[in-house]
Amino acid sequence: MDNKINLSQLAERLAQEGGMSKAAAEQFVKNFFDIISQRVLEEGLVKVKGLGTFKLIQMEDRESVNVNTGERFTIDGHQKISFVPDADLKERINKPFAAFDTVQISEDQAKELAKMDAETEQADSAPEDKKPVEEPKKSAKEKRLAQKQAKKAEEARKRAQKQQEKDSEKVVDTPTVKEITQKKGTRFLLKFLIGLLSTVLVIGLILFVMWPVIGNSVLDIVEKNLNKAKTEMVTDSLQNAAPAEVILPEKPAETPVEAPVAKPAETPAETQSAKPAESPAVKPAQPSQQPAAQPAAKTKQTQPQASVKYPAVKLNSQDEAKDLSEFTAADVVNFSIEGLLTTHTLQKGETLTVVALKYYGSKKLWPYIAKYNNISDPEKLQPGIVLRVPVLRAK
Amino acid sequence: MPLTCMQKWINQLTYTDMNNKQFLNELSDKCQIGADQAAVQVENLLGVMEKIWQDGDSVSLSGFGVLEVKKKNERVSVNPTTGVRMLVPPKLVLTYKPSSLLKEKLK
Repeated sequence: MDNKINLSQLAERLAQEGGMSKAAAEQFVKNFFDIISQRVLEEGLVKVKGLGTFKLIQMEDRESVNVNTGERFTIDGHQKISFVPDADLKERINKPFAAFDTVQISEDQAKELAKMDAETEQADSAPEDKKPVEEPKKSAKEKRLAQKQAKKAEEARKRAQKQQEKDSEKVVDTPTVKEITQKKGTRFLLKFLIGLLSTVLVIGLILFVMWPVIGNSVLDIVEKNLNKAKTEMVTDSLQNAAPAEVILPEKPAETPVEAPVAKPAETPAETQSAKPAESPAVKPAQPSQQPAAQPAAKTKQTQPQASVKYPAVKLNSQDEAKDLSEFTAADVVNFSIEGLLTTHTLQKGETLTVVALKYYGSKKLWPYIAKYNNISDPEKLQPGIVLRVPVLRAK
Repeated sequence: MPLTCMQKWINQLTYTDMNNKQFLNELSDKCQIGADQAAVQVENLLGVMEKIWQDGDSVSLSGFGVLEVKKKNERVSVNPTTGVRMLVPPKLVLTYKPSSLLKEKLK
């Protein structure tokens, strides 16, 4: 501790370390520092990697006061060599004290400490050996100032001690190795976090800067995807909506066809086939009309038939209109007509949809029958028509 | 803006690097050793000096000055605008004091 290592000692150590002769090492060290001092004088700035920066600083003229006489005088401007150690080296040198951080002091603490210091200071100030020598030279003001400074320094020291005691059982001068390592761990974590944060920031910055370049293409891609999704959604809803609607009209379509419409339709059909005995039994509400119609001419017979068929057709037309709008997209295209399956005589009240339902199990396939039979207007079908039902094969 | 910053940074880097290279070249010329050898020896020298400083000793060279580690005591600093008192911890700082010979040369 506190030894002054001179050139030869330094050279000796370097010779051991670097494996060169002592003379060469001495020469080397001498040259090393010669170059530094020479360059500082010539260029005003030397940076030595791993050591630090030597710099020539120009000090301006300044006024000062002679402490003893109170006279004012000017200190001439001169040049000064400053040295700033490398950040790495600085950190390594300060390693024993690296565990300490700057701490904020609260007001109460400061006051308390000031009180304590005032008491201890009186005792402390006496045995100090430097002060009595200087004191006679100084004026009263000067003395007070010095005292104040001493007080402050003492205060600071006390505070530091207290802080350290409070924090843990730290040794005042040099913290234990354990504490250092612990603090180092937290420091490392902190550094890591800061590094992470900074990288994220840098990436953000880069994105921000490059946005005019990247942004447009990204926006384009996003827009395309959106459009795609939209069209898909539309087609999906179209496909989904078709079968959903089919189910709904089935009931209102079938029930009126088979129940209320078909029944009155049946009765005239029965009358046509000359079975008057059954009709009063089946339909007690209508016998009054039918007996009257039976003896009448054929013209009269067709009238109820027409009137009966009308509601059925009307309902069917609605049904078919709906079906028409539904099957347009997919259903027709999927099958091809391949030959004759069977023939079907159209009954009263039956429509092409009913026939399609009967043979294919799906109402939606009636247009194939219509096409196969060259029916241009499926609403105007007469009962008794013989329909040829085609064989359908899925394409 | 970031580009100009980067340019500055790169300039600085290259500048210091050049400076260091020049320094090593000069040193190798003077000692009549290879430049790479000089670089290795400089590293060794710095390592030796660091050990000396860590032992609490000082490096003193006639004609150059003293490189010494000094302990700066802890102190209370007050932020003049907010009045917040901060306890600045003690530190060890490497200091350089030029020799009187060098100081003479400055005048």
